[in-house]
Amino acid sequence: MPRNRTVRLAVLGSSVQRAAHSGFPSSRSSALKRRIVVGLLVVASLVLITVSFRSSALDGVQSTGASILRPFEVAADRVTRPFRDTVGWFRGLVHAKSENAKLRTQVDDLRRQVILEQTDVQENAAFKRLLDYKGPPSVADFKQVPTSVLANPLGAVDASVTISAGARDGITNGSIVVEPTGHNGTGALVGRVDRVFNDVSRVMLLTDDLSGVVATDVANPQVVGVVRRGSGDSNTLILDRVPKQPRVLRNDIIITAGTEGGGPLQSIFPRGIPIGRVSSESDNDFNLFKNVQIQPFADFSSIGSVIVLVPRADAG
Amino acid sequence: MIDALKAALVLFVLCLLQLSVLTEYSSFRASSVVLVALLAIALLRGSIFGAFAGFATGLLLDTATLQTLGITSLLLTVAGFWIGRYGETTARDRFHAPYVSVAVVTVLYAFGQVLLQFMLGQPAPAGLVADGLPGALLLNLILTLPIYALARRLFPPLELGDRVREVRLLG
Repeated sequence: MPRNRTVRLAVLGSSVQRAAHSGFPSSRSSALKRRIVVGLLVVASLVLITVSFRSSALDGVQSTGASILRPFEVAADRVTRPFRDTVGWFRGLVHAKSENAKLRTQVDDLRRQVILEQTDVQENAAFKRLLDYKGPPSVADFKQVPTSVLANPLGAVDASVTISAGARDGITNGSIVVEPTGHNGTGALVGRVDRVFNDVSRVMLLTDDLSGVVATDVANPQVVGVVRRGSGDSNTLILDRVPKQPRVLRNDIIITAGTEGGGPLQSIFPRGIPIGRVSSESDNDFNLFKNVQIQPFADFSSIGSVIVLVPRADAG
Repeated sequence: MIDALKAALVLFVLCLLQLSVLTEYSSFRASSVVLVALLAIALLRGSIFGAFAGFATGLLLDTATLQTLGITSLLLTVAGFWIGRYGETTARDRFHAPYVSVAVVTVLYAFGQVLLQFMLGQPAPAGLVADGLPGALLLNLILTLPIYALARRLFPPLELGDRVREVRLLG
Protein backbone atom coordinates (compact mmCIF):
# COMPACT_ATOMS: atom_id res chain seq x y z
CA MET A 1 0.00 0.00 0.00
CA PRO A 2 1.57 3.32 -1.00
CA ARG A 3 2.41 5.69 1.87
CA ASN A 4 0.83 9.09 2.02
CA ARG A 5 3.59 11.68 1.53
CA THR A 6 1.50 14.78 1.22
CA VAL A 7 2.28 16.14 4.68
CA ARG A 8 5.91 17.22 5.20
CA LEU A 9 7.13 18.59 8.52
CA ALA A 10 10.34 20.49 9.07
CA VAL A 11 12.14 19.31 12.20
CA LEU A 12 13.11 22.78 13.27
CA GLY A 13 9.78 24.42 12.63
CA SER A 14 9.07 27.40 10.47
CA SER A 15 11.66 29.74 12.03
CA VAL A 16 14.52 28.09 10.15
CA GLN A 17 14.78 29.09 6.52
CA ARG A 18 16.08 26.77 3.89
CA ALA A 19 19.36 28.00 2.46
CA ALA A 20 19.34 29.22 -1.12
CA HIS A 21 20.57 26.58 -3.50
CA SER A 22 24.23 27.03 -4.32
CA GLY A 23 26.85 25.00 -6.15
CA PHE A 24 27.25 22.62 -3.19
CA PRO A 25 24.56 21.37 -0.87
CA SER A 26 25.04 23.26 2.43
CA SER A 27 26.45 20.27 4.37
CA ARG A 28 29.01 19.60 1.65
CA SER A 29 30.04 23.25 1.41
CA SER A 30 30.46 23.49 5.16
CA ALA A 31 32.56 20.31 5.17
CA LEU A 32 34.69 21.74 2.36
CA LYS A 33 35.11 25.01 4.26
CA ARG A 34 36.18 23.11 7.36
CA ARG A 35 38.73 21.10 5.41
CA ILE A 36 40.14 24.18 3.68
CA VAL A 37 40.50 26.07 6.98
CA VAL A 38 42.17 23.25 8.88
CA GLY A 39 44.35 22.44 5.88
CA LEU A 40 45.55 26.03 5.61
CA LEU A 41 46.28 26.22 9.34
CA VAL A 42 48.21 22.93 9.30
CA VAL A 43 50.21 24.06 6.25
CA ALA A 44 50.90 27.41 7.96
CA SER A 45 52.16 25.55 11.05
CA LEU A 46 54.41 23.33 8.95
CA VAL A 47 55.81 26.35 7.11
CA LEU A 48 56.48 28.05 10.46
CA ILE A 49 58.25 24.95 11.77
CA THR A 50 60.39 24.65 8.65
CA VAL A 51 61.38 28.31 8.48
CA SER A 52 61.90 28.67 12.23
CA PHE A 53 63.89 25.45 12.53
CA ARG A 54 66.06 25.79 9.44
CA SER A 55 66.86 29.49 9.45
CA SER A 56 66.81 32.58 11.60
CA ALA A 57 64.41 34.42 9.27
CA LEU A 58 61.67 34.47 11.90
CA ASP A 59 63.94 35.44 14.80
CA GLY A 60 63.12 39.14 14.39
CA VAL A 61 59.39 38.44 14.49
CA GLN A 62 59.78 36.14 17.48
CA SER A 63 61.98 38.69 19.24
CA THR A 64 59.39 41.43 18.72
CA GLY A 65 56.60 39.11 19.87
CA ALA A 66 58.56 38.11 22.97
CA SER A 67 59.33 41.78 23.74
CA ILE A 68 55.62 42.62 23.47
CA LEU A 69 54.68 39.73 25.75
CA ARG A 70 57.37 40.51 28.32
CA PRO A 71 55.53 43.30 30.22
CA PHE A 72 52.41 41.11 30.44
CA GLU A 73 54.43 38.22 31.84
CA VAL A 74 56.17 40.48 34.35
CA ALA A 75 52.79 41.96 35.35
CA ALA A 76 51.27 38.48 35.78
CA ASP A 77 54.25 37.49 37.91
CA ARG A 78 53.94 40.59 40.12
CA VAL A 79 50.18 40.35 40.53
CA THR A 80 50.32 36.71 41.59
CA ARG A 81 53.49 36.98 43.70
CA PRO A 82 51.72 37.75 47.04
CA PHE A 83 49.45 34.72 46.60
CA ARG A 84 52.37 32.48 45.75
CA ASP A 85 54.35 33.80 48.69
CA THR A 86 51.42 33.00 50.98
CA VAL A 87 51.19 29.46 49.60
CA GLY A 88 54.95 29.08 49.96
CA TRP A 89 54.81 30.32 53.55
CA PHE A 90 52.20 27.74 54.54
CA ARG A 91 54.03 24.97 52.67
CA GLY A 92 57.23 25.94 54.44
CA LEU A 93 55.54 25.70 57.84
CA VAL A 94 54.79 22.00 57.33
CA HIS A 95 58.47 21.05 57.24
CA ALA A 96 59.82 23.95 59.28
CA LYS A 97 60.40 22.13 62.57
CA SER A 98 62.29 19.11 61.21
CA GLU A 99 64.21 21.31 58.77
CA ASN A 100 65.20 23.69 61.57
CA ALA A 101 66.80 20.90 63.62
CA LYS A 102 68.62 19.57 60.55
CA LEU A 103 69.89 23.02 59.59
CA ARG A 104 71.15 23.76 63.12
CA THR A 105 73.30 20.63 63.04
CA GLN A 106 74.51 21.55 59.57
CA VAL A 107 75.38 25.11 60.66
CA ASP A 108 77.49 23.80 63.55
CA ASP A 109 79.38 21.44 61.20
CA LEU A 110 79.91 24.14 58.59
CA ARG A 111 81.10 26.69 61.17
CA ARG A 112 83.87 24.32 62.25
CA GLN A 113 84.74 23.62 58.61
CA VAL A 114 84.88 27.33 57.72
CA ILE A 115 87.29 28.08 60.58
CA LEU A 116 89.61 25.31 59.37
CA GLU A 117 89.38 26.35 55.73
CA GLN A 118 89.90 30.07 56.27
CA THR A 119 93.53 29.45 57.12
CA ASP A 120 93.96 27.38 53.94
CA VAL A 121 92.37 30.11 51.81
CA GLN A 122 94.70 32.76 53.24
CA GLU A 123 97.73 30.54 52.63
CA ASN A 124 96.55 29.81 49.10
CA ALA A 125 96.17 33.51 48.31
CA ALA A 126 99.62 34.25 49.70
CA PHE A 127 101.23 31.48 47.62
CA LYS A 128 99.46 32.66 44.45
CA ARG A 129 100.78 36.17 45.00
CA LEU A 130 104.31 34.92 45.63
CA LEU A 131 104.35 32.70 42.52
CA ASP A 132 102.39 35.17 40.34
CA TYR A 133 100.14 32.22 39.48
CA LYS A 134 97.74 32.59 36.49
CA GLY A 135 94.96 30.03 36.90
CA PRO A 136 92.01 29.20 34.64
CA PRO A 137 89.21 31.79 34.37
CA SER A 138 87.12 32.00 37.51
CA VAL A 139 83.71 33.45 38.34
CA ALA A 140 85.42 36.71 39.35
CA ASP A 141 86.31 37.29 35.68
CA PHE A 142 82.62 37.63 34.79
CA LYS A 143 80.13 40.45 35.13
CA GLN A 144 76.91 39.38 36.86
CA VAL A 145 73.50 40.17 35.37
CA PRO A 146 70.69 39.31 37.79
CA THR A 147 67.40 38.63 36.05
CA SER A 148 64.02 37.05 36.62
CA VAL A 149 62.60 33.95 34.95
CA LEU A 150 59.63 34.71 32.71
CA ALA A 151 58.60 31.17 31.88
CA ASN A 152 59.59 27.83 33.37
CA PRO A 153 59.61 24.65 31.25
CA LEU A 154 56.17 23.82 29.86
CA GLY A 155 56.43 20.05 30.03
CA ALA A 156 58.70 17.02 30.23
CA VAL A 157 59.92 17.56 26.66
CA ASP A 158 60.99 21.11 27.42
CA ALA A 159 64.14 21.70 29.51
CA SER A 160 64.59 25.43 29.09
CA VAL A 161 63.51 28.63 30.81
CA THR A 162 62.94 32.10 29.39
CA ILE A 163 64.67 34.96 31.21
CA SER A 164 63.94 38.67 31.04
CA ALA A 165 67.39 39.81 29.91
CA GLY A 166 68.85 39.75 26.45
CA ALA A 167 71.45 41.16 24.10
CA ARG A 168 70.79 44.69 25.41
CA ASP A 169 72.12 43.54 28.81
CA GLY A 170 75.28 42.12 27.29
CA ILE A 171 74.11 38.51 27.23
CA THR A 172 75.50 36.40 24.42
CA ASN A 173 74.94 32.88 23.19
CA GLY A 174 76.69 30.57 25.65
CA SER A 175 76.55 32.89 28.65
CA ILE A 176 76.59 30.91 31.89
CA VAL A 177 73.57 30.93 34.18
CA VAL A 178 73.74 30.28 37.92
CA GLU A 179 71.35 30.42 40.84
CA PRO A 180 71.37 33.65 42.86
CA THR A 181 71.89 31.77 46.16
CA GLY A 182 75.65 31.93 46.71
CA HIS A 183 77.61 35.11 47.28
CA ASN A 184 79.69 36.68 44.46
CA GLY A 185 77.92 34.67 41.77
CA THR A 186 78.90 31.30 43.18
CA GLY A 187 75.37 29.90 43.20
CA ALA A 188 74.71 26.50 41.72
CA LEU A 189 74.98 26.05 37.96
CA VAL A 190 71.62 26.17 36.16
CA GLY A 191 72.67 25.99 32.50
CA ARG A 192 73.71 28.23 29.66
CA VAL A 193 72.03 30.65 27.29
CA ASP A 194 71.27 29.04 23.94
CA ARG A 195 69.09 31.68 22.26
CA VAL A 196 69.38 35.44 22.62
CA PHE A 197 66.98 38.17 21.56
CA ASN A 198 67.06 41.87 22.40
CA ASP A 199 65.11 41.74 25.68
CA VAL A 200 64.71 38.05 26.42
CA SER A 201 66.83 34.92 26.22
CA ARG A 202 66.35 31.20 26.48
CA VAL A 203 68.42 29.16 28.95
CA MET A 204 69.17 25.52 28.24
CA LEU A 205 69.03 23.78 31.62
CA LEU A 206 71.51 21.14 32.73
CA THR A 207 68.63 18.65 32.44
CA ASP A 208 68.44 19.14 28.66
CA ASP A 209 69.61 16.14 26.64
CA LEU A 210 71.91 18.40 24.60
CA SER A 211 73.63 19.84 27.68
CA GLY A 212 77.08 18.65 28.75
CA VAL A 213 79.44 20.27 31.27
CA VAL A 214 82.98 19.17 32.07
CA ALA A 215 83.07 18.73 35.83
CA THR A 216 85.31 17.50 38.59
CA ASP A 217 85.15 16.30 42.19
CA VAL A 218 86.23 18.89 44.78
CA ALA A 219 87.64 16.18 47.04
CA ASN A 220 89.50 14.43 44.24
CA PRO A 221 90.45 16.67 41.28
CA GLN A 222 91.65 13.62 39.29
CA VAL A 223 88.01 12.71 38.77
CA VAL A 224 86.91 14.48 35.60
CA GLY A 225 83.72 13.69 33.70
CA VAL A 226 80.83 15.22 31.80
CA VAL A 227 77.65 16.17 33.63
CA ARG A 228 74.58 15.12 31.64
CA ARG A 229 70.90 14.51 32.23
CA GLY A 230 70.27 11.22 34.01
CA SER A 231 67.60 8.74 33.09
CA GLY A 232 64.40 8.55 35.12
CA ASP A 233 63.75 11.55 37.34
CA SER A 234 64.08 14.73 35.33
CA ASN A 235 66.00 16.41 38.16
CA THR A 236 68.79 13.84 38.38
CA LEU A 237 72.12 14.30 36.65
CA ILE A 238 74.95 11.88 36.00
CA LEU A 239 78.70 12.37 35.87
CA ASP A 240 79.53 10.49 32.70
CA ARG A 241 82.88 9.21 31.39
CA VAL A 242 84.52 8.85 34.80
CA PRO A 243 87.15 6.09 34.69
CA LYS A 244 86.95 3.39 37.35
CA GLN A 245 90.30 4.21 38.92
CA PRO A 246 89.89 7.50 40.79
CA ARG A 247 87.63 7.14 43.82
CA VAL A 248 84.36 9.01 43.95
CA LEU A 249 82.53 8.97 47.26
CA ARG A 250 78.92 9.63 48.13
CA ASN A 251 78.27 13.23 49.18
CA ASP A 252 81.34 14.49 47.30
CA ILE A 253 80.71 17.90 45.76
CA ILE A 254 80.92 18.21 41.97
CA ILE A 255 81.99 21.53 40.45
CA THR A 256 82.71 22.78 36.94
CA ALA A 257 86.21 21.80 35.89
CA GLY A 258 86.98 24.74 33.60
CA THR A 259 90.04 24.44 31.37
CA GLU A 260 93.64 24.50 32.54
CA GLY A 261 95.94 26.46 30.24
CA GLY A 262 95.17 27.70 26.72
CA GLY A 263 94.09 25.85 23.61
CA PRO A 264 91.32 26.01 21.05
CA LEU A 265 88.85 23.77 22.92
CA GLN A 266 88.38 25.69 26.15
CA SER A 267 85.38 24.99 28.34
CA ILE A 268 82.97 27.93 28.38
CA PHE A 269 82.40 27.31 32.09
CA PRO A 270 84.88 28.80 34.57
CA ARG A 271 86.23 26.49 37.22
CA GLY A 272 84.52 26.21 40.57
CA ILE A 273 80.80 26.64 39.95
CA PRO A 274 79.02 24.14 42.21
CA ILE A 275 76.78 21.65 40.37
CA GLY A 276 75.65 19.08 42.90
CA ARG A 277 76.44 16.33 45.35
CA VAL A 278 77.15 12.68 44.47
CA SER A 279 74.06 10.71 45.46
CA SER A 280 75.26 7.26 44.37
CA GLU A 281 78.20 5.63 42.63
CA SER A 282 78.70 2.12 41.33
CA ASP A 283 80.51 0.21 38.64
CA ASN A 284 80.23 -3.17 36.95
CA ASP A 285 82.37 -5.39 34.74
CA PHE A 286 80.46 -4.57 31.56
CA ASN A 287 80.88 -0.83 31.75
CA LEU A 288 84.12 0.97 31.03
CA PHE A 289 83.12 3.89 33.22
CA LYS A 290 81.67 4.43 36.66
CA ASN A 291 77.97 5.17 37.19
CA VAL A 292 77.92 8.38 39.19
CA GLN A 293 74.60 10.02 39.96
CA ILE A 294 74.43 13.62 41.11
CA GLN A 295 71.72 15.39 43.03
CA PRO A 296 71.93 18.94 41.67
CA PHE A 297 72.02 21.91 44.05
CA ALA A 298 69.73 23.88 41.76
CA ASP A 299 66.03 23.06 41.87
CA PHE A 300 65.15 22.90 38.18
CA SER A 301 61.48 22.37 38.90
CA SER A 302 61.04 25.91 40.16
CA ILE A 303 63.42 28.68 39.19
CA GLY A 304 62.32 32.20 40.09
CA SER A 305 65.42 34.22 39.27
CA VAL A 306 68.96 33.63 38.05
CA ILE A 307 72.31 35.35 37.56
CA VAL A 308 73.84 35.39 34.10
CA LEU A 309 77.64 35.50 33.98
CA VAL A 310 78.81 37.70 31.13
CA PRO A 311 82.54 37.92 30.30
CA ARG A 312 83.98 41.31 31.30
CA ALA A 313 85.13 43.47 28.43
CA ASP A 314 88.58 43.83 30.04
CA ALA A 315 88.94 40.07 30.68
CA GLY A 316 90.45 39.49 27.29
CA MET B 1 33.14 38.21 16.50
CA ILE B 2 32.42 38.78 20.20
CA ASP B 3 33.05 35.10 20.82
CA ALA B 4 36.43 35.37 19.07
CA LEU B 5 37.43 38.36 21.23
CA LYS B 6 36.30 36.61 24.39
CA ALA B 7 38.20 33.45 23.43
CA ALA B 8 41.33 35.48 22.60
CA LEU B 9 41.22 37.25 25.97
CA VAL B 10 40.55 34.07 27.98
CA LEU B 11 43.30 32.10 26.23
CA PHE B 12 45.79 34.99 26.50
CA VAL B 13 45.23 35.35 30.24
CA LEU B 14 45.45 31.59 30.75
CA CYS B 15 48.68 31.44 28.72
CA LEU B 16 50.19 34.09 31.01
CA LEU B 17 48.96 32.21 34.06
CA GLN B 18 50.39 28.95 32.76
CA LEU B 19 53.76 30.44 31.79
CA SER B 20 54.38 32.79 34.69
CA VAL B 21 52.67 31.08 37.60
CA LEU B 22 51.65 27.47 37.18
CA THR B 23 54.87 26.17 35.65
CA GLU B 24 56.65 27.27 38.83
CA TYR B 25 54.96 24.32 40.55
CA SER B 26 56.30 21.01 39.31
CA SER B 27 52.93 19.26 39.63
CA PHE B 28 51.44 21.72 37.13
CA ARG B 29 54.38 21.38 34.72
CA ALA B 30 52.96 18.56 32.61
CA SER B 31 49.31 19.50 32.92
CA SER B 32 48.01 22.44 30.95
CA VAL B 33 45.24 24.80 31.88
CA VAL B 34 45.52 26.30 28.38
CA LEU B 35 44.91 22.95 26.70
CA VAL B 36 41.85 22.27 28.84
CA ALA B 37 40.40 25.74 28.16
CA LEU B 38 41.04 25.41 24.43
CA LEU B 39 39.27 22.06 24.30
CA ALA B 40 36.31 23.43 26.28
CA ILE B 41 35.98 26.35 23.86
CA ALA B 42 36.34 24.07 20.83
CA LEU B 43 33.64 21.75 22.16
CA LEU B 44 31.27 24.66 22.60
CA ARG B 45 32.07 26.57 19.41
CA GLY B 46 32.97 23.94 16.83
CA SER B 47 35.80 22.81 14.62
CA ILE B 48 36.73 25.97 12.70
CA PHE B 49 36.69 28.11 15.81
CA GLY B 50 38.70 25.43 17.66
CA ALA B 51 41.29 25.19 14.88
CA PHE B 52 41.83 28.98 14.77
CA ALA B 53 41.98 29.22 18.56
CA GLY B 54 44.48 26.35 18.69
CA PHE B 55 46.71 27.89 16.04
CA ALA B 56 46.79 31.31 17.73
CA THR B 57 47.33 29.84 21.21
CA GLY B 58 50.17 27.65 19.97
CA LEU B 59 51.83 30.61 18.30
CA LEU B 60 51.58 32.62 21.51
CA LEU B 61 53.09 29.83 23.61
CA ASP B 62 55.93 29.21 21.16
CA THR B 63 56.71 32.92 20.99
CA ALA B 64 56.72 33.33 24.76
CA THR B 65 58.93 30.30 25.40
CA LEU B 66 61.24 31.06 22.45
CA GLN B 67 60.72 27.55 21.08
CA THR B 68 60.63 26.57 17.41
CA LEU B 69 57.60 28.38 16.02
CA GLY B 70 54.77 26.20 14.75
CA ILE B 71 55.21 23.03 16.82
CA THR B 72 52.61 23.87 19.47
CA SER B 73 50.47 25.58 16.82
CA LEU B 74 50.31 22.39 14.77
CA LEU B 75 49.38 20.23 17.74
CA LEU B 76 46.79 22.64 19.12
CA THR B 77 45.26 23.30 15.68
CA VAL B 78 44.65 19.60 15.19
CA ALA B 79 43.41 19.20 18.78
CA GLY B 80 41.05 22.20 18.50
CA PHE B 81 39.69 21.07 15.16
CA TRP B 82 39.18 17.45 16.19
CA ILE B 83 37.47 18.23 19.48
CA GLY B 84 35.41 20.97 17.81
CA ARG B 85 34.21 18.41 15.28
CA TYR B 86 33.41 16.01 18.11
CA GLY B 87 31.41 18.82 19.75
CA GLU B 88 29.50 19.44 16.52
CA THR B 89 28.58 15.81 16.05
CA THR B 90 28.47 13.04 18.64
CA ALA B 91 29.33 15.03 21.76
CA ARG B 92 26.23 17.25 21.74
CA ASP B 93 24.75 17.54 25.23
CA ARG B 94 26.78 14.62 26.56
CA PHE B 95 28.00 15.06 30.11
CA HIS B 96 31.16 13.04 29.58
CA ALA B 97 32.24 14.85 26.38
CA PRO B 98 34.67 17.36 27.98
CA TYR B 99 36.28 14.68 30.14
CA VAL B 100 36.71 12.25 27.27
CA SER B 101 38.10 15.04 25.08
CA VAL B 102 40.60 16.22 27.69
CA ALA B 103 41.75 12.68 28.53
CA VAL B 104 42.30 11.67 24.91
CA VAL B 105 43.94 14.92 23.83
CA THR B 106 46.23 15.08 26.89
CA VAL B 107 47.69 11.70 25.95
CA LEU B 108 47.87 12.40 22.21
CA TYR B 109 49.28 15.91 22.75
CA ALA B 110 52.09 14.58 24.96
CA PHE B 111 53.11 11.90 22.49
CA GLY B 112 52.55 14.21 19.53
CA GLN B 113 55.05 16.59 21.05
CA VAL B 114 57.57 13.77 21.51
CA LEU B 115 57.02 12.61 17.93
CA LEU B 116 57.53 16.10 16.47
CA GLN B 117 60.68 16.64 18.55
CA PHE B 118 61.97 13.27 17.38
CA MET B 119 61.25 14.09 13.75
CA LEU B 120 63.14 17.37 14.12
CA GLY B 121 66.12 15.54 15.61
CA GLN B 122 65.63 17.18 19.00
CA PRO B 123 65.78 15.36 22.36
CA ALA B 124 62.53 13.43 22.76
CA PRO B 125 62.42 11.81 26.20
CA ALA B 126 59.41 9.53 25.69
CA GLY B 127 60.01 7.69 28.99
CA LEU B 128 59.98 10.93 30.94
CA VAL B 129 56.78 12.01 29.20
CA ALA B 130 55.15 8.64 29.94
CA ASP B 131 56.20 8.90 33.60
CA GLY B 132 54.56 12.28 34.01
CA LEU B 133 51.45 11.40 32.01
CA PRO B 134 49.23 9.85 34.73
CA GLY B 135 49.69 12.90 36.97
CA ALA B 136 49.06 15.30 34.09
CA LEU B 137 45.98 13.36 33.04
CA LEU B 138 44.53 13.41 36.54
CA LEU B 139 45.21 17.10 37.02
CA ASN B 140 43.79 18.01 33.62
CA LEU B 141 40.63 16.01 34.38
CA ILE B 142 40.26 17.79 37.72
CA LEU B 143 40.75 21.15 35.98
CA THR B 144 38.13 20.24 33.38
CA LEU B 145 35.19 20.63 35.78
CA PRO B 146 35.73 24.31 36.72
CA ILE B 147 37.16 25.35 33.35
CA TYR B 148 34.35 23.77 31.33
CA ALA B 149 31.77 25.31 33.67
CA LEU B 150 33.39 28.73 33.19
CA ALA B 151 33.61 28.21 29.43
CA ARG B 152 29.89 27.31 29.28
CA ARG B 153 29.08 30.60 31.02
CA LEU B 154 31.26 32.61 28.67
CA PHE B 155 30.30 30.67 25.55
CA PRO B 156 26.75 29.43 26.07
CA PRO B 157 25.96 26.41 23.89
CA LEU B 158 24.54 27.47 20.56
CA GLU B 159 20.84 27.04 19.91
CA LEU B 160 20.05 24.11 17.69
CA GLY B 161 19.02 26.48 14.90
CA ASP B 162 22.43 28.20 15.00
CA ARG B 163 24.26 24.94 14.81
CA VAL B 164 22.29 23.02 12.20
CA ARG B 165 22.68 24.52 8.80
CA GLU B 166 20.29 22.29 6.84
CA VAL B 167 16.68 21.29 7.37
CA ARG B 168 15.85 17.64 7.19
CA LEU B 169 12.36 16.79 6.16
CA LEU B 170 10.43 13.99 7.74
CA GLY B 171 7.72 12.04 6.11
